[in-house]
Amino acid sequence: MKKSLTVRDIVIAGVLGAVAILLGVTRLGYIPVPTAAGNATIMHIPAIIGGIMQGPVVGLIVGAIFGISSFLNATVPLFKDPLVAILPRLFIGVVSWLIYVGLRRKNEYLAVGAAAFIGTLTNTVLVLTMAVVRHYLTAGVAWTVGITNGIPEAIVGTIVTLAVVLAWKQIGKTQKSKISKDL
Amino acid sequence: MSSEFEISRSITIGQYVPTGSFIHRLDPRIKLLVFVILVVAIAFNTSYFGNAIGLVLSLYLFWASKIPISYGLSGVKPAIPFIVILAVLQLLFQGQLFSDGRVYVDYGFVLITSESIRLVVVSAVRFIEIIFLSSVLTLSTSTTELTHSIQSLLSPLKKIKFPVHEISLITTIAIRFVPTFAIEMEKMMKAQASRGADFGTGGWWRIVQRTKEMFPIIIPLFNIALSRAEDLILAMESRCYTPGGERSSYSVYKAIAKDYLVLLVGLFFSLLLLFYPFPF
Repeated sequence: MKKSLTVRDIVIAGVLGAVAILLGVTRLGYIPVPTAAGNATIMHIPAIIGGIMQGPVVGLIVGAIFGISSFLNATVPLFKDPLVAILPRLFIGVVSWLIYVGLRRKNEYLAVGAAAFIGTLTNTVLVLTMAVVRHYLTAGVAWTVGITNGIPEAIVGTIVTLAVVLAWKQIGKTQKSKISKDL
Repeated sequence: MSSEFEISRSITIGQYVPTGSFIHRLDPRIKLLVFVILVVAIAFNTSYFGNAIGLVLSLYLFWASKIPISYGLSGVKPAIPFIVILAVLQLLFQGQLFSDGRVYVDYGFVLITSESIRLVVVSAVRFIEIIFLSSVLTLSTSTTELTHSIQSLLSPLKKIKFPVHEISLITTIAIRFVPTFAIEMEKMMKAQASRGADFGTGGWWRIVQRTKEMFPIIIPLFNIALSRAEDLILAMESRCYTPGGERSSYSVYKAIAKDYLVLLVGLFFSLLLLFYPFPF
């Protein structure tokens, strides 16, 4: 673990937070799916990318920004509850980072893909669990939503994360700043 | 015609309605603190009477801040179908969990009791209260004031090495870049559309196609974001920005008597909602 946040951590967390907010307010982050919940989401992807690129702290912060913005923008009563909207989102980036670090030795691509897949499932499972705990949904409805929304979300999440992270690895080779790592 | 590409206009984040009211002139730190404790109290209250108090309180705040109530209602309006669907689902399927109280309907799996009706009504009203409260907060406080007050409220956490200044800088960067990325995204959508890509023309049932349409926007968006981040990192480092350094602030807030009074009133209402055993 690093001692404190570097300039790179701060800026990447801020920028990914901006993307999360933007996907939320423009409704671009919602993919219409004909289920009870109405929409699958891809707004958690910045949190996953933050976790993979800059570690658990950045993942946690981006997750928090995503949670707070989805709480403030929510049009569904479910997400006007801070326990459903904010709390589960904190774990997305952290879980993705754990998976990524665990598998990185074996295969970079596999690690990124698995981190994105499991990170998405973390979001789905924790949010639905909280929804059931807070009595917004019954367990049966939650299972249906989990399967019909969770699986497409996980697939889309994996594709986008792989594309972005691998492209960034290319950009990373020509990183302008040479001193980030020393600070 | 071009309306579907005009993303940057529809962003209402940081919308601020200056009316110079009492609420606007409050210390933003106190405003944020009172907002948080009220939302927590409302989220945990399950009685009719308590939520009626919350509703009256949030309507009063709208009146006191001299912001037209239509701003609050415009937040509620798109949610009405969801509220109705959720209410029906809860009414039909949640009865088994709340089987205490008087039973009204017991037909097959449908069990409607006084407790399940309470759940439906309370969660709908709670939702409206929270929309009103958060509208009052964001409409009467500028984003700069909000980030400064977050920093100031979290500053005691510095003692345990919590990166308060860094968090507030992250929030500022995030809010600052939303409109920038919105403009970039607009450009990108226009560029893709002029090459023959179409957005949102497929029916909603063609999920795979709708999803594929997103990729040419989303992936470049992330790449633009990250390359902008590189520029910003370079700019900050070349100006010798050091995380965790000691800094002073340009604007310093000073709470006066009326701010503390508001805090006391907010605290009173939250404790009332949280702990008072309402009769119904």
